[in-house]
Amino acid sequence: MRRFNLLLFVASSVIWSVAANAATRPHYGGTVRVAMHETPQSLDPLSLAQVGVPNISRFLFDTLVVLDDRGFAQPALATTWQAEPGNQRWRLTLRSGVSFNDGANLEPTAVAASLRAANPDWKVLPVSDMIIVQTGEPHPNLPAELALPRNGIVHGNPQVSGTGPFAVSQYVAGKHLSLVANDQYWGGRPFVDSMEIDFGQTGRDQMTSLDLGRIDLAEVAPENIRRARAEGHTVQSSSPAELMALAFAMPPRNDEEIHLRNALALSIDMPAINNVVLQGGGEATGALLPNWLSGYGFLFARVQNTEFARTERTLGKQSGPLVLAYDSQDLVARTVAERVMLNARDAGITVQLTTNGHGDMALTRVPLPSLNTQTALTGVALALQLPMPSFGNGSANDLYSAEKTLLQSHRVIPLVYLRSGVALQPGIRNFNMSPDGAWQMSNVWLGSDKP
Amino acid sequence: MRDHSHQYERVRASYNSRILPMLPSRARWLGCALLLIGQLCFASDWHSPAAQLAGKISAATGPGVIALEINNRSSISAADVEQIRGFFISELATGGVRVWQPDQAAAVAKVTLSENLNSYIWIAEVQQGTGEPKIAMISMDRPPSSLSAQNAPLLTLHATQLISQSQPILDLAVLEGNPRRAVVLSGSAVSVFDFKDGHWLQTQSLPIAHATSFPRDIRGRLVLRKDHLFDAYLPGVICHSSEAGSLSLNCSRSDDPWPLAIAEFGVSGFFAPARNFFTGVLTPGIGKQRSAPAFYSAAAIPKDKYVLWIFGGVDGQVHLLDGINQQTSSRLRWGSDIAGIRAACRPEWLVLATAQGDEEDSIQAFEIPDREPVAASQKLPIHGRVTALWTQQNGKAATAVYRNADTGNYEALQLTLVCGQ
Repeated sequence: MRRFNLLLFVASSVIWSVAANAATRPHYGGTVRVAMHETPQSLDPLSLAQVGVPNISRFLFDTLVVLDDRGFAQPALATTWQAEPGNQRWRLTLRSGVSFNDGANLEPTAVAASLRAANPDWKVLPVSDMIIVQTGEPHPNLPAELALPRNGIVHGNPQVSGTGPFAVSQYVAGKHLSLVANDQYWGGRPFVDSMEIDFGQTGRDQMTSLDLGRIDLAEVAPENIRRARAEGHTVQSSSPAELMALAFAMPPRNDEEIHLRNALALSIDMPAINNVVLQGGGEATGALLPNWLSGYGFLFARVQNTEFARTERTLGKQSGPLVLAYDSQDLVARTVAERVMLNARDAGITVQLTTNGHGDMALTRVPLPSLNTQTALTGVALALQLPMPSFGNGSANDLYSAEKTLLQSHRVIPLVYLRSGVALQPGIRNFNMSPDGAWQMSNVWLGSDKP
Repeated sequence: MRDHSHQYERVRASYNSRILPMLPSRARWLGCALLLIGQLCFASDWHSPAAQLAGKISAATGPGVIALEINNRSSISAADVEQIRGFFISELATGGVRVWQPDQAAAVAKVTLSENLNSYIWIAEVQQGTGEPKIAMISMDRPPSSLSAQNAPLLTLHATQLISQSQPILDLAVLEGNPRRAVVLSGSAVSVFDFKDGHWLQTQSLPIAHATSFPRDIRGRLVLRKDHLFDAYLPGVICHSSEAGSLSLNCSRSDDPWPLAIAEFGVSGFFAPARNFFTGVLTPGIGKQRSAPAFYSAAAIPKDKYVLWIFGGVDGQVHLLDGINQQTSSRLRWGSDIAGIRAACRPEWLVLATAQGDEEDSIQAFEIPDREPVAASQKLPIHGRVTALWTQQNGKAATAVYRNADTGNYEALQLTLVCGQ
């Protein structure tokens, strides 16, 4: 019996050794083909951040600091940093031996010039192997701010060059970008040799191209993530990280307007919109920061209550319809706007839709700017044209108070936090998305089952 | 509401739990005891934050009777939530606040155990009367997570936990002596650890100076020497230790070949300085063969009249060279990393080979009686991806490094084979 068991074990082990997948080391080489919806007209970090393609910026440009997946600052082009008392003056030591893709060495003067161009309010001075950043007000979160893609370090003008893992080999503005691996990259050359990126591709075109094997990586809209998975695609998705909100153009002028906005907020059935329109591709929210980032976001949860909404409506005054603007190119935004209009009507509020860009309020999307809570809240406030938050000593309680103050300005009604998704060919290995949806491409390699 | 109770079971488990099942039964009982102690210690960590938030609640309500409701939105386990509830009740009592039924309470404290990317956030909503609830919150660091406890089957492949660190470990050599010493190679330094009082304590770190950037998936090898302590091989760089006075490191650009398997076999391979593999060029070669297909790793199996070399190829195949013939085994689906190892009760060397499961890698020992590998141990599950596997200097052990899937740390294991189990 014991012998039989041994034989069985040996036989099963041999079978196992044949059947199991191999734990292969990453392979160098190959080209990753990507399609994107956006159409960037320029390849500098500021422009790329403005049009919502920070991933391209990360391929080409490094920042001084990066945030890890838990929001902690880690060295990048700066190896160390230290604030002077008061947090208004920061000293950052630069990594040595780094070159821009145009061949120039990474020098403090170039770094200072780059940061000054992106942040005209800052004084940035090169000193020896360091730079000194001086801000007008205390800036305890400067490292997190320096990690924003918009603060990618560039060299040259107007043709900019970066120190990133990839370099540009060809660029047709808004249409196509060819990248090659930076052999001298300080963080280690990427595994793939090149990337080919097609811009301006609709979601449907991207999935068709993916199915036909023309591309390796396609963006998946939040409302399509569930379906793409059901169809058998390999899909990675982020945490809910893009805020969709109603942003009012003006602060409320009186209490009646506050009541009207409260009534509108209470009338919207966001869970239904998330489940039906967005196919569960997000999470309904009443907060500006997602709960997974703040930990307290659930305190701002808002439940549809048409009866309360009607009561608030009676306290409010509506002289004409509330005009809601949305992006005509954004089909999901249109459906959400229509739902908001219908919900509002149930509470006795008249909402009129427009696509001309001018309204009392706009259905706005705001990508999560950072994995640092304070930097994220500041970025969201900036994008929604809200007053700048102040954070006290930076405790969780202070952050909560700052967010509560912003919400009590009645300038914004948060609706939903959306996930972002990416569909991949099976041969794409090691692709990772940060919780905020950032693509981590440097470690991607192509397996032998790439079509 | 998310239910992370299962995840948190993983968080609470002992760090070395995966190794426990491979230990003798007495050691396993000891491990269980340590696990229990560890859990009790961890549980006591909840006391301080509970006291802190209870203090804020009692400051808001004043002495009296309140109702307490605890909701868990975090990865804290249900069992721990119950302990936390107990801490709250006792701490509130210290502040003169008694927890009772809602219908007889003057206030309701709704406590939510929440979390964000790096912290636990505990929030109390204190409702007195019909006004706005008072909000109090505290936060504390949250560990990224830790290993899960698993009941692995009995194995003949033993793993001993050595060093754990956030920086990638490329290789590790253990120097037996008093104290026991470990030399750890990473991409930026060679660190020396002494084993004292049951722990590895870093005593020295020697930075590796290099002019050019190292490739991604950096590899490295430590080779112990007789005339000096060690040589460290990295892509395009070699470092020699020197013990004139104190231990120091001299690094220089070098394309010298790296010793394969152990130095006694006398075969070295050239490593591609900007990649993660050996080019295949061998020196002085294996018999008449001067090269192999490009490979990630190699193991040597001495036979009566020759040495059989096995290479984990870049092409995903296993190549066998005996000095005359080259054979390719496309049937084997081993991983990239293999290493030779000896077992005290077997005359021949064996091969350790990695393989990939759904979420974890594993390592298994194989005998090579002829050209067909036969499994000689059950597979040893590794809680993460194996990043390095090298034969140690005496061949009686191998060093495996993996990246812990929970913590992200690099963990070095010493692997040994015990027969007869």
